[in-house]
Amino acid sequence: MKYLKSIIAVVIFLPMLQAGQAVAAENSAHGGDIIYTKPLQSVTFSHKSHVEETGLSCDLCHAGLFEMQALKIQGKSNFTMAALAKGEYCGACHNGTMAFASTTRCASCHSGVKGGRLAQNHE
Amino acid sequence: MSDEVKAAVLSLVGSDGLVWERLKSGSKGYYLLLMVTGILVAAAAVAGVQAMVVGHEHFYNTTREVPWGILISTYVFFVVTSTGLCLVSSIGHVFGNENFMPIAKRSVFLSIATILSGFFIIAFEIKIPWRMAIYNVISPNLTSNIWWMGTLYGVYLMFMLAEYGFLLLDKHRYAVICGFSGAVAGIAAHSNLGAVFGLLMGREFWHGPYMPIYFIASAMMTGTSVIILFHFLAYKVNKEEMGPPMKHALAITAKLGVLLICTILFFTIWKMVSGIAGQPAGKYEAVMALVKGPFAINFWLFEIGMGMVFPLILFAGSKGKNLSMMFLGAASMIIGIFVMRYDLVVVGQAVPVLHELGVNEYKHLLSYSPSLYEGIITIGGFAMTAFLFLIGEKLFAGHKMSQH
Amino acid sequence: MKPTNIDLAALANEGVENVAMKDRRHFLKMGLAITGVFAGGTLFSAVSVANKVFASPAEFADKYPYKPHYSMIIHQDRCIDCERCVAACAETNHVPHEGYRTRILQRDVPDAIGQKREFIPVLCNQCNLPQCTRVCPTKATYKNTSNGIVMMDTSKCIGCLTCQEACPYNARYFNEERQAVDKCNFCFDTRLAKGEKLTACANACPANCRVFGDLSDPTSEAYRTVHQIERAVWVLRPEAGTKPNIFYTKG
Repeated sequence: MKYLKSIIAVVIFLPMLQAGQAVAAENSAHGGDIIYTKPLQSVTFSHKSHVEETGLSCDLCHAGLFEMQALKIQGKSNFTMAALAKGEYCGACHNGTMAFASTTRCASCHSGVKGGRLAQNHE
Repeated sequence: MSDEVKAAVLSLVGSDGLVWERLKSGSKGYYLLLMVTGILVAAAAVAGVQAMVVGHEHFYNTTREVPWGILISTYVFFVVTSTGLCLVSSIGHVFGNENFMPIAKRSVFLSIATILSGFFIIAFEIKIPWRMAIYNVISPNLTSNIWWMGTLYGVYLMFMLAEYGFLLLDKHRYAVICGFSGAVAGIAAHSNLGAVFGLLMGREFWHGPYMPIYFIASAMMTGTSVIILFHFLAYKVNKEEMGPPMKHALAITAKLGVLLICTILFFTIWKMVSGIAGQPAGKYEAVMALVKGPFAINFWLFEIGMGMVFPLILFAGSKGKNLSMMFLGAASMIIGIFVMRYDLVVVGQAVPVLHELGVNEYKHLLSYSPSLYEGIITIGGFAMTAFLFLIGEKLFAGHKMSQH
Repeated sequence: MKPTNIDLAALANEGVENVAMKDRRHFLKMGLAITGVFAGGTLFSAVSVANKVFASPAEFADKYPYKPHYSMIIHQDRCIDCERCVAACAETNHVPHEGYRTRILQRDVPDAIGQKREFIPVLCNQCNLPQCTRVCPTKATYKNTSNGIVMMDTSKCIGCLTCQEACPYNARYFNEERQAVDKCNFCFDTRLAKGEKLTACANACPANCRVFGDLSDPTSEAYRTVHQIERAVWVLRPEAGTKPNIFYTKG
């Protein structure tokens, strides 16, 4: 019974959540918040703070670093902190000179299981 | 000695003995009350056993953060009452103050009835009571106030039972010895109950020597109100008129009540002031929850109003003569004291232990409200005291004191 | 920041040999309390005290009451709330849904500059002066005399929950399945006793936020992390007087 319940929950809610995230991302200006859940939960990327508050242009990241499709990057096996430290992905800017280094201020981007849950509840 | 006892027992419980005769002498209302209280006790027992078997967490509203709820506070209420009855009554027949003599016997009986009600409640509060029976004996922890409290209340109950037995048999010398020992055990047990709370270093609202001292003083206060309440009721149940010595004893008890209410008011004022002045971390939040937070009605209306100020006015206004006023004051006081015990237990847990950490999880006061089952069991405790009181009035023929 | 190993013996000795025996005993008592005094409500340097009292680091380490003296140093700023520790703990120790032995708390500081949130892992502090064991009427919870872990003897637990009231860290909960209060025991039965070196949470942590080790071993990372004069180390609720063995630091 317990298993059945959780299977139903997964079947019903999982697509909803993913759909919800994608919709929210498209709807909000400049891409909204992207919640990465791989390789671990969760990292929140805020378009608002990067585009609106910091004034970065879209192609700073979207010309080579990240594709326009949200979360696609999660499929890559080297989407890790180690890669970031070598200057890949977020680490291209978050290197300590352009922006704070990816080896510092962990919880600035990492919003954790709680952050992921919160984002889901908002959608 | 033993022959005497045998004869006495036979004359009491033999087929045409005194006991049945006395029990048959009640009015219709008496049997109705007996039935209602009996049913309430049974309902509480059923609810308690169900919770125990199925799992307390399904029926009680206590949580990880607030593990103690109304059942603990009701247990505290009953043992406070019992200790108070024992102490106030001992002024007369143990310490020889003649004024208190007439109330001694019924008070001792009631102190047994109330502690049994307390044990009845706690049996359903403790998750695995049978383990307590075993490991309290074979694996005692002498630094544990809970252990001392439980053990000493066991000893206390023995002494009180023996004392009442000797009072029935008119063995006053033995009764005095048992009464004195019972009072000592009661004070030790009860202050240990205070220490259960007072020695918890992580709970600012409770921590400190205040609790054990306060518990003894508030026990005495509770004792006076319960003595007045039940003596008033007893004479209604037995349809008798109070004689002058009894009236005098109750007048003196009300006077003592006034003194003790003032004492507890004094205690309470300084407890609150010390919790506000300098805003001591943890304590301040709890005190403010009482002063103008979610417990403000409990505190001002019940604790201060019904528990102390109202009875103070009525007791003083009665001049020890107006029994109805004294009864009303006592009844109000008992309700107030019940809420006092509830607040003491719940508010002490309301501030999360990691509140100072400033994390989202522990920013707010924790809340608790009793569940239906907890309510049923609580009412069952009161019903048990009422039931035993009613039985006692008939069984022991109004607890008359023989002269000695 | 890499922990630096300070050679305690190389630091200037303030002349312990000249302290009268009685005074020295008095100091040593303080030394025994080291794990709690350590943070003592403020940031506190172990080295400064150690240096005054002990002739050598080895002697200092000897003053930890247990061997091994298990401890966990939490690098608070490394926690990202991935909660792999919570999951690993639950799986390893069969912690039911409604309970937890360890948890991650979140502190939001909206007006902070830069990072505006931090995560704080909490668990049983395995105190040197545990309140829970003092209040337990049946010794169902007790301090293991060899390794200092606060343990449960579930068969003796009467479920009075006084230990839950006594714990200043909210580290205990009633486990219906076991019919006893349950708590973190550093995975003693599930891992350490089987020869594992780390607790499940420390093992699962991807950020090395939880450093588990033996404080009585001067070569351990736990020991080296804590015994640095330049590192801020603190404990939770020092005023509760429990002398905890979970230390918090950053960097």
